[in-house]
Amino acid sequence: MAEPELKTKVEELINDHEVLLFMKGTPEQPQCGFSMRVVHVLESMGIEYAALDVLPALDPLRQATGEIADWRTFPQLYVKGELVGGCDIVEEMAESGELAEMLGARQPAAEELTAKQELQADPQQSPPMQIEN
Amino acid sequence: MAIALAEVRLLIEASLPGAEVEVSDQTGSQDHLEATVTAAQFKGLSRIDQHRLVKKAVQARFDDGSIHALTIKTGVPG
Repeated sequence: MAEPELKTKVEELINDHEVLLFMKGTPEQPQCGFSMRVVHVLESMGIEYAALDVLPALDPLRQATGEIADWRTFPQLYVKGELVGGCDIVEEMAESGELAEMLGARQPAAEELTAKQELQADPQQSPPMQIEN
Repeated sequence: MAIALAEVRLLIEASLPGAEVEVSDQTGSQDHLEATVTAAQFKGLSRIDQHRLVKKAVQARFDDGSIHALTIKTGVPG
């Protein structure tokens, strides 16, 4: 069970921000390659977003998002209060143009979206979907 | 602890009967996996709900630490 207080706070955050990213690390210093890739997609579209670093409270936040959105891995991107997805879905929707449409952003050129190769080689990359026992 | 790719495939197939499932190992360590799942059950569902179905099938193996990362690609047949 998530702490009721934390769950309420997380719900408020999700509802108060048009575009909200839960990520490992910060946009300036992502601590996970998958979080970095979602930041890259958002930045390449010039989207304004709020980012929350989950690392200081990883387990409680897993519990909270698990109860709120049935999703316990990070990154998580919320748009208008709804979970859009993690890295896989965000990248798929970015490539297809659906994400730009959803966010009212311009669709970037394909090469702007995918800097995947170098990002995947990042030594700081941590297991992105680890779920605690 | 690693998990056999075949087991992951069986878990997904068991929870989505008739689905076409491919599982591959992304790092050689058997715990960063990629699953490509094509299933009629996905029809009409958002991507996030499609992914939820796949994750639910293998959740126990996340919980026991057998899988660290699972990249999911979903599609509808036809």
